[in-house]
Formats: sequence, structure tokens, C-alpha cells
Amino acid sequence: MKKDQKVCIRGTDIPRVKIDPVTLQVLGGAFKTLAQEMGLVLYRMSYSSIIRESEDLGAGIVDPLGRQICESESTPMHTGSVPAYVRGFQRRIIEELGSTIEEGDVILHNHPYYGATHSPDVHIAVPIFHKGRLVAYSALQAHVLDIGAHTPGLCIDAIDVWAEARLYRGLKIYEKGKKNQQLWRHILDNVRTPSMNESDIEAMITAAQFGRKRFLELIDEYGLEVILSAAEEWMDYAERMLRAQIAKVPDGTYYVESWLDDDGKNWGQPLKVAVTTTISGDSVTIDLTGSATESPTAYNSPFEGCTRTAANYIVRTVFLDEASHAEYIPQNDGMTRALNLIAPEGTIFNPKFPRACFTRFPQINLMSDCVMRSLVHVMPERLCAGTSAHIHFVSYSGYIPEEQQYWVYLEVNEGSYGGRWGKDGMDAVDALNANTRNVPIEETEWHHPLRVERYELRDDFRAPGRWSGGLGVVRETRYLTDGQFTCEGDRHMEAPQGFFNGHDGKAGAIVKNPGMSDEISWPSKISGAAVKKGDVIRIVTPNAGGYYDPLDRDPQAVLDDVLDGYADLALARDAFGVVIDGVSMKVDAAATDALRKAARKSGKPSGKSSGTDGRVPAAKSGRGKVVAGAAAR
Amino acid sequence: MKRIGVDVGGTFTDLIFVDEEKGSVAVYKTPSTPKDPSIGVMNGVRQLCAQTGSSLETIDNLFHGTTIATNLVLQHAGVKTGMVTTEGFRDIIHIGRHKRPLNFSITQDIPWQTHPVVKRRHRLTVRERLIPPTGEVLHPIDEAEVRAAVRQLREDGVESIAVCFLFSFLNPAHEQVVKRVIQEEYPEAYVSLSSEVLPQFREYERFTTTALNAFIGPKVTHYVEQLSDSLHGSGFRGDLMLMQSAGGVASVKASVQKPVSLLMSGPAAGALGGVWCAELAGHRNVIVLDVGGTSADITVLNDRQVRMKHLLDTKIGDYSAMVPMLDVSTIGAGGGSIAYIDSGGFFRVGPNSAGADPGPACYGQGGKLPTVTDANLVLGRLNPDYFIGGRLKLEPGLSVEAIEEHLARKLDMTVEQAALGVLKIVNNNMVQAVQKESVRRGFDIRKFSLLACGGAGPLHACDLADALRMPSVIVPPNPGILAALGLMTTDLKYDFSRTELQLAKSADVRKLSRDFAELEREAAQRLVEDRVPKDRRATERAADCRYKGQGYELRVAVPGGPVNAKTVAAIAKNFHDAHEKEFGRAFLDNDVEIVNIRVNGIGRIPTLEWPKAKRGGADPSGAFKYDRKVVFESGGRVRQIATKVYERTQLKAGNVIAGPALVEQMDSTTVIPPGAEGKVDAYGNLIVTLARK
Repeated sequence: MKKDQKVCIRGTDIPRVKIDPVTLQVLGGAFKTLAQEMGLVLYRMSYSSIIRESEDLGAGIVDPLGRQICESESTPMHTGSVPAYVRGFQRRIIEELGSTIEEGDVILHNHPYYGATHSPDVHIAVPIFHKGRLVAYSALQAHVLDIGAHTPGLCIDAIDVWAEARLYRGLKIYEKGKKNQQLWRHILDNVRTPSMNESDIEAMITAAQFGRKRFLELIDEYGLEVILSAAEEWMDYAERMLRAQIAKVPDGTYYVESWLDDDGKNWGQPLKVAVTTTISGDSVTIDLTGSATESPTAYNSPFEGCTRTAANYIVRTVFLDEASHAEYIPQNDGMTRALNLIAPEGTIFNPKFPRACFTRFPQINLMSDCVMRSLVHVMPERLCAGTSAHIHFVSYSGYIPEEQQYWVYLEVNEGSYGGRWGKDGMDAVDALNANTRNVPIEETEWHHPLRVERYELRDDFRAPGRWSGGLGVVRETRYLTDGQFTCEGDRHMEAPQGFFNGHDGKAGAIVKNPGMSDEISWPSKISGAAVKKGDVIRIVTPNAGGYYDPLDRDPQAVLDDVLDGYADLALARDAFGVVIDGVSMKVDAAATDALRKAARKSGKPSGKSSGTDGRVPAAKSGRGKVVAGAAAR
Repeated sequence: MKRIGVDVGGTFTDLIFVDEEKGSVAVYKTPSTPKDPSIGVMNGVRQLCAQTGSSLETIDNLFHGTTIATNLVLQHAGVKTGMVTTEGFRDIIHIGRHKRPLNFSITQDIPWQTHPVVKRRHRLTVRERLIPPTGEVLHPIDEAEVRAAVRQLREDGVESIAVCFLFSFLNPAHEQVVKRVIQEEYPEAYVSLSSEVLPQFREYERFTTTALNAFIGPKVTHYVEQLSDSLHGSGFRGDLMLMQSAGGVASVKASVQKPVSLLMSGPAAGALGGVWCAELAGHRNVIVLDVGGTSADITVLNDRQVRMKHLLDTKIGDYSAMVPMLDVSTIGAGGGSIAYIDSGGFFRVGPNSAGADPGPACYGQGGKLPTVTDANLVLGRLNPDYFIGGRLKLEPGLSVEAIEEHLARKLDMTVEQAALGVLKIVNNNMVQAVQKESVRRGFDIRKFSLLACGGAGPLHACDLADALRMPSVIVPPNPGILAALGLMTTDLKYDFSRTELQLAKSADVRKLSRDFAELEREAAQRLVEDRVPKDRRATERAADCRYKGQGYELRVAVPGGPVNAKTVAAIAKNFHDAHEKEFGRAFLDNDVEIVNIRVNGIGRIPTLEWPKAKRGGADPSGAFKYDRKVVFESGGRVRQIATKVYERTQLKAGNVIAGPALVEQMDSTTVIPPGAEGKVDAYGNLIVTLARK
């Protein structure tokens, strides 16, 4: 028998009590529902399509230590990102200003060097007091249409953090329940889309108040000790579940590097992403040492708010794949404890103040892809070939003189996943850290002077593999008035990687006025380019890589590919070794056997393949061994 | 009027017969025949006619709830379907809303990509384009190109064609051209136009709904027509009507044109059965809980009204089917739900179910895992010799073994404690689901009663009500045939809608008036076709609104009478109120946008008269069967208590039963815990009032 000893909730003198397994389940469900509904209130109420259609938001309850108790499941970029904001504004208000958090305060915050994922992800926090004691925050952030950067909507080529956004560093827009109207006017006066921002931020405040109310109801019902103790239990549970899965993977150090196109200014100068993944027992270290030096543009990823969030995301995805776990495992602070993240200061993954850091999605997506690639040899049945690992985040905009404000339409263009064990890759879905929803064309055209002329899977074929790579999309949009175009994109140079003899995918592209006399190819990053009425922008997103040898693909599946336009007869023959009669559209089994035999005998796949021998140094597994130039720390 | 209601479920086909003149009601249960459900239906109908001594010729109406449409979608068993769509947009149904179903997963499936409703090879594009806001033609359609596409689809052997053009909800002309060409080139094909199936904006949802309609259309048509033929071949001269997801019944003709509106036929019937039961018991605010073997359906009745689902939540499997559906939510919690300790050491129940085969451990059919039914049996709440009227003998020893091995030992608990834990967790899952649908939408649950239905509902209802702080539980006379009852109580109902996208402040009232009039004309025409007498026809108006700039609409009622500025003002006011109620806040200064308008054509059906129960005194001893030891937890202590067991069919109106007690009937058992009190009302409802702490 253990002796009773008083254990307290971390950071408090509140005793941690033992909770029966049933109450624990009750409260687990209650936490989950609470956070989900905060998100639901926000996106059902909000105005800008980036929140309401794309659901680019995160919400949850965070304790005063900045530990996440629960969060809404919207887009992974906000997975576990709420706490960094809370730690950030507390540092500003309490430590630096020596001030206090009071009942009735509403805090507005977006500072990337104080925990923000990036500056347009504006955060609202409402402190939750119970009997005079601060016990938690109900907090959330969402992407606003415009944050007053030097270009409308999005921003790439900014000289520093002041050029990328209006900065809100732990501002109280309500103090003890009283709204600061002067501050509110100042905020709206300094963005291009004041009506949208006003309505969206009001919706955020409503959602945060909703979360506060629900959490207090739970405390009233079960008591503070029980609620906080249950939160501790659920954090420990999430940690336990994740560590158990990490422990099953062989110890070792695995290195991969890859290249980003450029920083959006210094064209033709690729930026290195270097990832060393070390599995040691039930912990994992991701070391980004060797990655490119911080950019002079806004192409940098805030460390606490963004790099860490992305690393947490990919660790959970790799080791605790939701599809293979029947039970609900909450995303909370426990999910972050098995990860040790290293990113040297002064790199694109940990820029130094006052570097601008608005544009960070391609970096963290490629970093996540590299983590997967580094482990693909040790856990091939749970991972996939190279993904699109990009984003093409686009701001279409224009000025409306009669309203003295802008219209801005933000669009997240989809990516693709590599072939997987037993399955082809996913086509045309958001990639990795993004999981938003697209905006209906019938909505876009209704509200903006834009016409979408094409939105389809790419014309070229799926990257061959026993399990083929997913396809990206092609999207063409015509401006019906003059305006501006900004794109945060990448992976126009390096194609997603095929593995185990699967072929590489294809890189992305942006073309202005395709097929017209003034057709021009644009790089992946465009800062506020002036666009004329009638101009068309074509965006093509990357195709992912193939997995395993296409010679082993089921010939019937190859025939289906041909019928559905994912391959043609020549590719079927050359890459897959499948002979299809072009008239009867049937597989010639004998000829296929013969062709495949010959291709295998020649020792190399019949089609172009780079696989693990591609231009990017490949992952190699080695127990406890550092390979291929990883920095030892 | 004589009417029959038939609800086909996974295990049983439930039937109910009503003779209005005689005021008599009869019920019947027969095993379902999943391969061809019409066999079970015909068996049941014949049995029921024989039992009531009435011939099929004398039946006026046969109302039918069916899962055929749902199963065709869930089992990917529709026909080979083609699509003609706008050039440049071949893959709308493949890309979807580009969101992965799961955030944290590489190995997940994207159902609409793995099992496309229309394969890419059968999605053909033609050059045409309509543009907002009026549906003006930007590129005219080329009939020759359409003809070539239709011939191609015919050659490819598709049986059904979906026609899906961008902005066709504003102007159906181009889709109509394709329809005409199909009729000329391939008249045998089943055709669905997106402008007819769902004339509303959001192309992915509209295209997918239309494609689903085409996908299931031929087989639904075949089933319905075959059933209709069998009935008429057996002498039936009345009308066959089918239960719709939105909660009304519709004719065979309307149903085969829009089979996609049959997707929630079964649960919708259950919800309406709940409404009727609530009325019978005289309660206005009720939460209907229908607990079966694998799942529980929850419906909130506020003032006896069922809400409609939010249009973006209307899914079937993982496919979007943007058609009106009653707001019934389903969770994986039922008698067969499996209890286990997960790899992280946590105690869980469901959503996996032992189903009917092998079933719970106590069925003795090879199931080794402990289920909710096993827990109920171990605690003495189920009678092993009277399960489904004694047709299935239960073995408590097997339940004890399963709970001991898989739960009690691992948790260091007694078998009773573990079994109570199973009930608490499964109850909690249901509590969470009920709260999500009620409290968290602003309904004060303390003013609601819990209506317990399904085989397992009455077993759990009192514990649930207690946890939810609801004052009382209603157990209707026949809790097992809720959906069939619902079929007897529904009106004919047809939904017509149109996208407006007008601001209230600057609304073109004449257009609005014209559009409402047109929808009302369509609705009236449908009711005339269905031979609904004039005095039983009605129409109801509604509008889907949002603040300008929002992406999600709320549905509000629209007053009848002439459409004018006052109508528009009423719409705006109703919307502000609905927004306040839904989100706790209204924005009175913001512009209200009228997104869709809707008209429901309604053919009223006479309400069902239920016979009164025999009267008796307070003393229930006439129904007393025997005493049994049952485990209860009270005041934090687990105790075995001697509990009286009563036979439901022997109870009389006015009987009062003090808890602890069990009330057994053929298809269910009601648990009345210590401190609670059950009372039989005039219609035989058992109303249990819970002890207030």
C-alpha cells in the first residue's frame, strides 16, 4: 500500500485527487465537446471565408502554466498552438509590464515572438476565474483576412516584423469588462478589411466567452479539484499512448534533407531543410540543425508558435495515426511531452527578432515531410512516399473605392499524398499541417470579382508505383477587375520523392495568362503583384510520389488508371509493364507477364525512377548511428 | 380509413395496423429479409391482415419506412452512373471540400475517392458556362457536344446519368438541354438534374447529392415498384407512400424521382413516433432516446417539434447529401456495445458492437467479449428466460466470465463493480450525446422528459435521466415499434426550395413573391397528384438566412399571406432571434441575407387514436410476477436489493409502482431504480418520476 501523500496540480496548491475511471471518461467527453463547440460557434458565426469555410482556427482551454487541457479539432496548424499564445501574452503582461490579468479582461494577441503561429492568426483569450483565483483561459485564434501588412491579405517580402502586420502584444480590448473603444477603433483603422475583421473578432470573443461559461459550469458541477485533476490525468494518458507507440520503433538516428525554392526575393537560391530524427526509447528528437539561415524576407517560421506546433503535429500523425486507433485520444499538453525539438536560433525555423515571419507554411510542411521520409525505411507500412509538402496560399484582392476598403479572398490550394502501403495516395487534399476546406466556386464568384475557369485534377499522370502517388490540382482564376495577387507557395523546383522504386511526383507551377501572348511563368512566391482586369492566374500544385515498384502493381488497377485518365497505354507499358489492348481495353496477361519478367531481369524498372537514389540524399536507417551529414548535438 | 405502417429495420420488420372507424390498433413483428426486404414486408402485411381479419383490398394507405436507399449508399451498391458536367470541372465530386476526414492520419481513406459515386471515366464535360448573379449564359451549350457525350455514356453502359452544371440553380436551361438529348438518345437511362434534385448553391454538395440520386435511383425504383406490384397483385388498391428524411411521406412517383430524400427514412419515422408518443403522454418537451443493439438515436422535441439538421451536416456515410433531414443524431451505443480496457489502461465502452452475430457473451453464440447486455444481465436487470419474450435464452455465467476476464481482473474490481462501470460509461456516452443536442443548444433539460424507446432504452432511461437531472421518464406502451408508430402519424410532405441570395434590406420583393408563388404552385400540384382532398392541403414557408458575409445559414419560418415588405421584415426579425438563440448573440445592425427560400407542401393525415388502457387502482400487485435480486448503486454503495418484477401487459391505468422494480414486456425491460416511482397513465404509458436529491 502506498502512503497517501499530497500531490498538487502543477503550479498550484490545489490537491490532485484520485478520480474514478468513470468520472474520468465523463470529463474527457466534456472537455472534448467544450472545445469542439467553441470552434463550432466561431466558424458558424464568422464572416470571412478563411474562418467559416476553411476553418483556419484553433480553440481550447489552457491552464495558467500554458498547458493545453483540450482543443478543437479544426486545422492541424492550430494543433496545440493555443498554449504558446497564452504563455506569450502572460510573459508580456505579467513579467514585462508587471501588470495583472483581471476578471472581465479580453486579451487580443498576435505577436509572433510571443507565441503566435504567425501574425494574421489573431488570438482572443478570456481568463477564467473561480472564487477569485485564475484557473484557466478560454482562448482561441483564427486567421483574419488582413492584418495591415505591406500587401493585402498575405505578405512575403517584408523587411521586418513591423512591415508584416499590425502587432497586438497582449492588448486588453476589454479591461475588467469594459471595452476599450479607442483601441478598437485604432485596430480597425489599420487593416484593409475593417468590416470583416470587426465581425470576425466579435465572433471570436463570443466563442471564447462560451468556452469560459462551459468550463465554469463543469467546475460548479464537479468541483475545481476534480476538474483540474482529470485534466492532469488526460494529459498523462495522451503522453502514455504516444510514448508507447514511439517505443515500438527501433532506436536510431535518421537524416533527410530537402530544398525549398527560395525566400521570395533572392530567386534561384534554394534553402535547405535538414531534419535529423532520433528515436530513443519512448522519446523522439527532431533536430533541424543544418537548415537554412533565416531569410531577409518574411519567409521564416516562428519557433514556439509554428515550428513546435508543426513538429508536434507530425509526431502524433506518424506514431498515433488516428485511423489505426479506435479510441479517442485527446490532443492536449501530454501529446507534446515525448518530443524534443531543436532548431538553432537564426535559422528559418527559429528566426531572431525582428525578422519578419508571416510566411512559414511551406517550410514546416517540408520539415514534416522530411520527418516522414527519415522514418520511411523503419516503418514503411505506416508512412507514404513524398507528399506535396507545400502550400499555395493565395490572396486575391482589390480596392473598392466606394467602401474605402479592400475585398480580399484567401485561398488554400490543395496538395497530394504519396502512395501508401496497400493504397494509392490521396489526391487533391490539403497537405500535412493544413486541413482546411475549400470555398465553393459558387460562393467565390458570388462575392468577389473573380471567375474560376478551371478546377480539376492535374492533367499529367499519377507518379507510378505499386501504390501510385496522389495528384495535385490545376486551378485557373480570372480577375474581373484590377487587383493584386500574392502567393505563399513553394515546391516549384523539387518534386515530391518516390520510394522503394516508386517514381517521383511532379513539382508545382504558377502561370499568368496561360496560352495568351503575354503568358508568363511566375515563381512560387509573389508579393502583391498588380493584376489587370481579364488576367488569368493558373496554379498547379505538386503531384506526390509513388510507393514501391510499379512492376508489382495489380494489372487491373493499371487498366483502371488508364480508363480514368491517371495513366495512358504507353505509361502502362513502360512504367508498369502492363500491356493493354487499345481496342478491347483489356489487359493482355501473357504479354504483361513477359514484359514484367524482362524488366525485372534487366534489374531496373522500365520507367524513369529516382526513388531513394534521387538527387536528394535519402534516408537510411542505422541503429544509433548518425548518417549522411547530420549534425551531432 | 384503414392504414398499415411498415418499418424495415436491420433485424426486425415492424408493422402496425390502424382502423379508424373501429378505433382499433394492432402491431406485429417479423424477421427482416435483407436480401429482398419486400418479402418480409409482404409476409408481415399478410400476417397482420389475417390477425385483424381484414383483407388487403380494404386497406386505404400503406406507409413504409425503408433503409434501402441508405444501404445502397453505405454498401456502394448503386448502378453504374455517368455524369455530364461543366468543362473545366470534371473532378468536383473527387476533390470534395479538400479536407481530409482525419487530421492525424496518413493511412486514412477518403471515401469519395476510394468509392466514387461516379467514376472519373464516366464523368464527361461539355463546354458551357452560366454566371452569377442571374444565371446569365456566358458560353452557350453546344447540343452536338452533348449528344456525343450522351452516346459515349450509353456505349460505356451506364444505367443512370447525373447532369451537374455550375450555377444551374440560377438557370436550369443548360441542364434541360442535356435532359432532352438523353431522352432522345438514351431514353432508358435514369436522369438526375442538379437543378431539379437540389437547386441550391455549393457545387460540391449539389453535384454529390445529384450523383447519389442517380446512383441509387434505378434500384430504389425497382424495389419500390416491385413492392407496389406485389401489393397490388395481392389485391391492395390503396396508395403506397414512403417515409422521407425530412419527416413526411411521399408518393411512389415522387420518391423514385428523388430517392436521395429517402436516406434517413428509418430514423425520421422514429423521430415522428417520438412526437406522437410525447403527445399521447401529454408532454410537450421531450428527448427521444431510441436504443437498439448497436446504436442509439437521439431526437430533441422542443414543444413537440423536431428540428431539421443543418444542411451542411446532412451526410450519409461520408458523402454529402444536402437534402432536408430531421435532426436525429446517432451514436454507437447499444446493448451490443463492447466494453474493454484500451492499450493506455482506460476503461471504454463502444463504439464497436458485437452485433447480432456473435452477439453478447450471454447469447452463447461464441461471443467472448463483455457487452452492455452482459452487464445488465449480471446485475439482474434482465431476465435470462424472458429476452425477446423468451425466444432467446441468455446465459448469465458466460457474462460473468467475460466481465471477469476482460474487465474486473484488469481493473481490480468485483464483477458487479465492473458491470456497473460498463453501464455508467455507456450511459455517460449517451448523456454526452443528449447534452450536446439539448443543453448546449440552450434547451433547459430540467423541463424535458426522457422518452425511452427501443429494446434497450427503458433499461437505461432512469439512470440517464438521473444523470441529466431530468425529472421524468416516459416508457410508451410499445417501446419497440417506435418507427412504425411514426409512420402512422406523419403527413404527406414535399419540400421545394430555391436559392435567392438577396439582402433583406434591398430585397426584390416582387421576385421573392413570384418565387414563393411558384414554389407553392409546385407544391399544390404535387398534392393534387396525390389525391389529397382540398381541406387537408397546406403549405408552409421557410427561409435559410445568414448575416451578409457569413457562410452558414439558419432556417427561420416565413409568415403566410401576401409577400411584401412586412414579410421581409419578419424574416429578418426571425433570423436575429434564431441567431441569438443559437449563438447567444444577435447583430441587429448587420444585413440579413436570404439565401434559400423553401415551401413545404403538406397533405394532412388524420391523427392516430390510441385505445385507452384498462383502469385499475394504485395497487399494481395484479401484474406482480416474482422477486429478483438486482444490483443498484445508491449513496455510493453497491448493494443487492430484492426487487419486484411486474408484467407490463398486466398493468392497469392508475397502477403505481415504487422503485426498485423491473417491468418486463416482450421487447423490453424497464428499470425503476430505488426512490423512483412509476405510474401508468390512461393510455398505458409508464411515467417514472425520479427521486429528487
